[in-house]
Amino acid sequence: MKIPGHKHCADSPIQRLPPPARVRLPIDEMRAAIDIGARVEAGAVVARSAPDAEWQRRAHSPLTGRIVAIGEAAGGEGLKREIVIEGKAPAETSVRRHLDAASLGVDQILTCARDAGVVGMSGARFPTHVKLRPSVPIDCVIVNASESEPFITCDHRVLTEHRHEVECGMHLAMRAVGAARGEIATGRHGHPFGQERFVIAEVLGRDVPEGRLPKDVGVVVINVQTARALHHAVCDREPLLARVITVDGSAVASPGNYTVPIGTEVGHVLTQCGVRLDEAAALIVGGPMMGTPAGLETPIGPGTGGVLALGREQISDLVDRPCVRCGECMDACPFGLPVGLLLEEPSEALLQCIECGVCQFACAAQRPLIDSIRSAKAGLHAGRC
Amino acid sequence: MTAGRSGTGPVIHSGRTTPRLMAHAVVALGPVVLASIWRFGAAAVVLIGVAVVVAMLCDAACDRRNATDGSAVVIGTIVACLMPVTAPWWLAAAGSAIAVVLGKHAIGGLGRNLFNPAALARVVLMGLAPAAFFSPLWTIDGRTAATPLAKELGASPVPVVDLLLGTGSVTLGDAMPVAVLVGGLALIALRTIDWQVPLCYLGAISLLALVLPPGERIVGHAPWLAGNPMAHLLSGSTLFCAFFMLTDPVTAPFTRPGRLVFCALAAVYTMVVRYYTPYPDGVAFAVLLANATVPFIDRKTIWVPVDRGASDELPAVDRQHLAGDEGGEG
Repeated sequence: MKIPGHKHCADSPIQRLPPPARVRLPIDEMRAAIDIGARVEAGAVVARSAPDAEWQRRAHSPLTGRIVAIGEAAGGEGLKREIVIEGKAPAETSVRRHLDAASLGVDQILTCARDAGVVGMSGARFPTHVKLRPSVPIDCVIVNASESEPFITCDHRVLTEHRHEVECGMHLAMRAVGAARGEIATGRHGHPFGQERFVIAEVLGRDVPEGRLPKDVGVVVINVQTARALHHAVCDREPLLARVITVDGSAVASPGNYTVPIGTEVGHVLTQCGVRLDEAAALIVGGPMMGTPAGLETPIGPGTGGVLALGREQISDLVDRPCVRCGECMDACPFGLPVGLLLEEPSEALLQCIECGVCQFACAAQRPLIDSIRSAKAGLHAGRC
Repeated sequence: MTAGRSGTGPVIHSGRTTPRLMAHAVVALGPVVLASIWRFGAAAVVLIGVAVVVAMLCDAACDRRNATDGSAVVIGTIVACLMPVTAPWWLAAAGSAIAVVLGKHAIGGLGRNLFNPAALARVVLMGLAPAAFFSPLWTIDGRTAATPLAKELGASPVPVVDLLLGTGSVTLGDAMPVAVLVGGLALIALRTIDWQVPLCYLGAISLLALVLPPGERIVGHAPWLAGNPMAHLLSGSTLFCAFFMLTDPVTAPFTRPGRLVFCALAAVYTMVVRYYTPYPDGVAFAVLLANATVPFIDRKTIWVPVDRGASDELPAVDRQHLAGDEGGEG
């Protein structure tokens, strides 16, 4: 089963969205470094991990203004805590510092990445400086540009318009991990084959065992925008303040690829892109296969690839009819799992599932397979402990 | 705005839904129904109408929630297509009731029935009212005809054109085999059924017709039927079974290889009945017997890719971290 691409925005150049007057900065387990009411400059650190934390993170204010709240997040992307900042975005920097990175050592590259708060920008938000310090030998860095989620084209645009920056980021990552080989993977096999395990298999022919990481087969995979952020962090000493997202769906008047500050609320994006809310049957952050339902206050996180306002005709209801054993779930599954049958008798085989959603996409009975898989997996984990 | 979708997972769908597949089946049955009405007239209208209405009523009575998926219309039509045109209307009603109530709901509901409901109904009725099914001589519109497969009669071969146009057939679904072919090819074109299923069944029938040594009965009475694949493909309910019965996903094996085994098996059963028993057609028997083998075929053909071992070496906490923090597209 081929998942349709719906890449309507593939040829839309990246535009800068008029910046919001307020951002909700997801800070996860980080501690606020500044008090409510305090003034901040754009680019200043507003939250950082505890000094003894295993993975050091930083969050920077994308606005010059005032901290108005520190607290629980509205949801989306599994964000736990947030800092709300009101203010103005600085004018786009036209002059960059363009430092010569050739003289920098591995530690300096990693320190720049850490201080700039560079994290995985494909949804994982794993600190890049940790990823680039693997405990095992790495021979290849893959920049994953095969964004396979339907509708989402932001990485494609970034690679098309800023290829030099992405390549620079890739070379920095190669130096950091000591890899001689670097590849930019632009596979076009459709969802879910942009997932890193499939990209590694396609580019290098290596199989990442279930429950293992790419580094266990000597590979580090970073996203296109992560590579670009790494370039800016090292060569320009710029923190991660913004990312490119795709805004699409039949309820959007001006779909396209937009640069937005991290923490921009979905509501602001929709207003600026002319979304007719009464026509939007589903609001999604991320792609339509693996994204999550959003509210108007849901922030754009570092790993959010898009905002979709899909019309009634673009989505499907979950009717949950009885399974007719058509076998489409198994044919669609990238691992060939007979999902419908495995849900009747959950087995350990289900733990391989990456929840890519193609089985539910294909299910003739329109069953909520992904929800059921998650429950079944939770049951299996509980049974193990 | 944000729709009533509580769950996560994909919000888009392939569009291949159960009601859509049932609608395809109804459309594909259209040529078959029209052909039987064209040949048999009012008798066909009554039988099909009664069968469909009774099937829908029984379905709604048994399970109101899923009664709108169109499966009752499909079952009712197929039940009627397996009836001889000489059957009284109440036989069609009984057939639909048996198919829907016993064959579908009593055994567990849509998706959980082991046997093809229409084949079950036909076999039960053949047992209960044999006279309605097995008269070698049929009187239609004052004209006497014989089904090409009727073993006591068919002394001389029937030309292929007559077979294609169904001259002499008495079962509604076989009124014009070329119409079945049109409907079946439409199902393949709509990607509702796999082309491998009918091809495998029809291929196996042809092969078996050539290689099986015919039984005494067939040798004695209709020698032209032995070793004549075309006669077996185009007479009786062979084509109808290939496109409309073996393709029912519910009562077929889960995997593609399993479905091919299933079809080959159904072909063996069909030809055994035709060559070695007094029954002329045997398609309904074959479907039921093949259905009965499905759990076994499934056990042998569903290959569940195994967890590649690494998971047990990692504690659950790590696994969660892996899923949450390092997944995604890099």
